[in-house]
Amino acid sequence: MIVTDGSLAISVENLSKRFRIPLDRSATLKHRLTHWRSASRYRALEALLDISFDVPAGQFIGVIGHNGSGKSTLLKILARIYRPDAGRVTINGKVSPFLELGVGFNPELTARENIFLSGAILGLGRIELHRLFDEIIGFAELEQFVDHKLKNFSSGMEVRLAFSLAIQAHAEILMMDEVLAVGDASFQQKCFDIFNRYKREGRTVMLVTHELAAVTNYCDRALLLDHGRLVGDGSAADVTSQYRRAIGLAADGSRLNAEAERWGSRDVVVTGARMLDERGFEDSNPVTGGFARIEIGYEIQNDAVADFTCLVWLVRDDGIIVSESSFPVSQYAQVGSSQRGSGGTIRYDIRQLALLDGGYTVNVELQGRRDGATYDHLKPALRFRVIDKQGRHGVVDSGGAWSVVAAEQPVVSWPGPLASSQ
Amino acid sequence: MSATADARLPGVAAGSAPQLNTLRHYRQLTVELAISQFKLRYTQSVLGYLWSLLKPAMLFGITYFIFVDLFKINDGTEYYGMQVLLGIVLWTFFAECTGSSMQAIAGSAGLIRKAYFPRSILVIAASLSSLFTFLINMLIVFAIAVGLRQIDIGLRMLIVIPLLLELYVLALGISLFLASLHVQFHDVGHLWDVMMQLLFYGSGVMFSLTYVLQRLHLALQVGQTVPNHSPIFVWIAAVMTANPITQIIEDLRHALLAPQAPWTEAVVTGHLAAVHQLHALDVPWMLPVPFVIVIVILTTGALTFRARARSFAENL
Repeated sequence: MIVTDGSLAISVENLSKRFRIPLDRSATLKHRLTHWRSASRYRALEALLDISFDVPAGQFIGVIGHNGSGKSTLLKILARIYRPDAGRVTINGKVSPFLELGVGFNPELTARENIFLSGAILGLGRIELHRLFDEIIGFAELEQFVDHKLKNFSSGMEVRLAFSLAIQAHAEILMMDEVLAVGDASFQQKCFDIFNRYKREGRTVMLVTHELAAVTNYCDRALLLDHGRLVGDGSAADVTSQYRRAIGLAADGSRLNAEAERWGSRDVVVTGARMLDERGFEDSNPVTGGFARIEIGYEIQNDAVADFTCLVWLVRDDGIIVSESSFPVSQYAQVGSSQRGSGGTIRYDIRQLALLDGGYTVNVELQGRRDGATYDHLKPALRFRVIDKQGRHGVVDSGGAWSVVAAEQPVVSWPGPLASSQ
Repeated sequence: MSATADARLPGVAAGSAPQLNTLRHYRQLTVELAISQFKLRYTQSVLGYLWSLLKPAMLFGITYFIFVDLFKINDGTEYYGMQVLLGIVLWTFFAECTGSSMQAIAGSAGLIRKAYFPRSILVIAASLSSLFTFLINMLIVFAIAVGLRQIDIGLRMLIVIPLLLELYVLALGISLFLASLHVQFHDVGHLWDVMMQLLFYGSGVMFSLTYVLQRLHLALQVGQTVPNHSPIFVWIAAVMTANPITQIIEDLRHALLAPQAPWTEAVVTGHLAAVHQLHALDVPWMLPVPFVIVIVILTTGALTFRARARSFAENL
């Protein structure tokens, strides 16, 4: 290593971590006693394999990789929550004890009590917390809810409180696991403002996230993990584009999901799909009541294709199909005269998105009009997350409007047995 | 200061040695956790903290009535009702402390998986929260005793402090042991319930040691059998005097309420020796046994906990 030892915040040498997953998990003594011979009924999962890297103090480093690649395990080992099986980790400086926001919050305690409890986990003294109290509450915009129990808070309020408390920690090395995933757009902006401040202060930050844009914008460097192995280590731009290629993001940035199921004859193929906002910028976080455009790129691979339809399904993350819609593409585009290699972009505009908060996927199928044959089916073609700024419960915005007519007698009443007894 | 590469053992080396700052941080965290656990106990109730005074006072009232007024169990020493009450308060603490501390690790799975701090803090905080309730209960017993004029105030009361410390150390040692096993084996919870039942009767909570010895005398006198042939009584007395809980309860009774009642020490050496048939108990090495047991339990508990704590996050 060229860097002198003193300036290294984190040093990891040949780190390995293996999880032993019991084949039939049973937390009783009887099981242990009756199965003591077959104590090795475990499936070994190599969470991290021979990982080495150094982080100089003051570096802003992003860790990316698919789900289960070992990102969070790495962070937990660095934070001393997990114990490594092999290898060596050296940390120079005070590490923030939290990996996620809101850890240690108790729903039965008030905001004030939670600040003192969670603050203690963060290493803030009582006197210090008293001094910082107004600032924390003010930043979270919760002045009126100081003595309300946390269980009555909306998730947004809770995240705001957690965040404004967490940024008070004195840690020199901050580790954050998916902090960006929890909040809305304005919360993310707050996060980024804080990231900028941390960078100015020269703190070491390690950020695990799926938001590749955040990594390219804020990180000096990125690590790419794949099935427990460190497969990329370099500038944020290089490593994120390596990851994009690995998971099959098209060069133009449109998204083809790597874990998607895909089938069909490929006479016409989907070249990409993305979601845009009203300004035409890519945005996979549309807001309820707002505009969202889904763009699907297609390319004809077989000259014999005459007529095809595009189908789009919006599917909520619990599997419910919230809408299905089809569009006879060839009636609007000159497909008949087209030939192999030609293509275009299909647009599906949602002028007023009725969906409320939640994660959704879009399935896309290109289908022959005459025989109904599947040319290309992607399940899903893209994912998006709806944000309702009013934080309403439910599935859709019904679009209903309220009014009341005051009168001597109710104008509408139940007939027969439902009528209230006099 | 950075960790040197001489030992290539797996591990995470903190760069700097633990500072006073860190210790203060952990102490504060322990206190905050204990306070919030105490608060949570009385959440969603109209009377709130008042319950911490009302509940024991009401429970004591019932117990006092049943054992002293109704059944008139008595060993002839003064203030016997108060002695029983004291036993119950101590036992309640012991049962509640071990019971709730045992769950402290398994009950904070979310925190353990996502934040780092010494895991023993959770157990210590839970036990402190029980200790706080216990001290309130002790004040109530004291108030009742003063109210009924059933207490002999004197300097020997100071012995209460080391005795309570001994009780706390015993409860903490057991809690650490149980909590570290409970993470993987929920059986210990059920097993401990049964053990508690056994200990309850083996610790002289609802009756005094003197009462047992009186009964023992009676059996020996009436039965006229050779004592060596009825070892069961000897065993009961031996187990009871070796049991640290009996020793603590009896010594507290002596110190607070009944100076005429013998110290456990006196019971072992003097009182039993007088019953010369009981050679088995007439041995000086019985004296330190309760204290040795407490030390052994704390050491075992702490070592077991330390060995298992590193994998709590993975096993939860």
